[in-house]
Amino acid sequence: MKLIVAAVILTLASISAGQEDPEARLLVSKNVLNNYLVEGKDLTVEYKIFNVGGGAALDVHLKDSSFPTADFEVVHGNLEVMWERISPGANMTHAAILRPTKFGYFNFTSAEVVYYGKEDKKEQKFGYSSAPGEGGIVNRKDFDRRFSPHVLDWLVFAVMTLPSLGIPCLLWYSSSRRFTSHVKKQN
Amino acid sequence: MAATTSKMLTILVLAVLTVFTSADVCLGPVVKSETYTTSETTVSTETVFISQFTLTCKNGLQNINLFADVAGRMIPAVRTTVTNQYQITITDEYKALRSGNYESRFYDEEGFSALKKARRNNEDVSTITPLFTINISHGGVWQGTYIQSEFVAACVAILVWWLAFSTKSKLTP
Repeated sequence: MKLIVAAVILTLASISAGQEDPEARLLVSKNVLNNYLVEGKDLTVEYKIFNVGGGAALDVHLKDSSFPTADFEVVHGNLEVMWERISPGANMTHAAILRPTKFGYFNFTSAEVVYYGKEDKKEQKFGYSSAPGEGGIVNRKDFDRRFSPHVLDWLVFAVMTLPSLGIPCLLWYSSSRRFTSHVKKQN
Repeated sequence: MAATTSKMLTILVLAVLTVFTSADVCLGPVVKSETYTTSETTVSTETVFISQFTLTCKNGLQNINLFADVAGRMIPAVRTTVTNQYQITITDEYKALRSGNYESRFYDEEGFSALKKARRNNEDVSTITPLFTINISHGGVWQGTYIQSEFVAACVAILVWWLAFSTKSKLTP
């Protein structure tokens, strides 16, 4: 599914570059890891933060307010978290499990990140993560019809076919038993 | 008399020192945790472990920095908007995180730096006691049934037909 791939990674740092730059620069990616998005089933959202700058990022706040409570419920994890410090070159992973309450198309937009790029904590930086894009949430009934093992359906089918197979079988069995006992008596 | 006074003083100083040193250490940690692991492939292309917990210290310490050591990975615990609530997340391929019990050991900053130092110097890590541990039990990722139910139904149908046919062929000479 296309939406699983988050293609865009937004640079949150300023334009100036240089290896001696002690400032933190965070790249944030947001991915939906599901193979299928299904109404009422778990939806895994993964956030990855990379610090590509020369300094440590301080008080990093990640907030994702792109999931309306009317359409999603948070099952595990948090959509607003905080790291005290992300060292240069480090990468952090965060995830949350949600459950879509409705089916249909939903546009997965980006999360927000706020942090201090320098140790002096003077200038706060603000940025967005990548956006996974639009994804279709499948109706639970349609999903089950296509992917469930249909064990119950087959059991019902077996019960329904039982009279047409079982009654002749019983009739034959009773007559054959009578016949064999008759043969035995004769002997 | 003087000896007892000096002894008393030493005990007092030691007691005061413990208070000072324990100011940053979480005493008697009580942890309430809930964990989540990926259970089927449709839900996620990778195995995800989430452990969410609330830590209460007897000495009332709040929002301390915690670090976890899980399956050879050293990760910081993220703080949430709720006071003293933390979360750790581990994601990897299905093969890398197989089913089983994963003990996540949590350390404060002091313990974590000691752990890193011990790892660096190839020293015994077991001497560093964690603040607390949380067990993550992963039941494995369900990748769907190996045999389709249609196949089983077809096999049963063939078996029934074969039984009936063989019995019938025995009857007619």
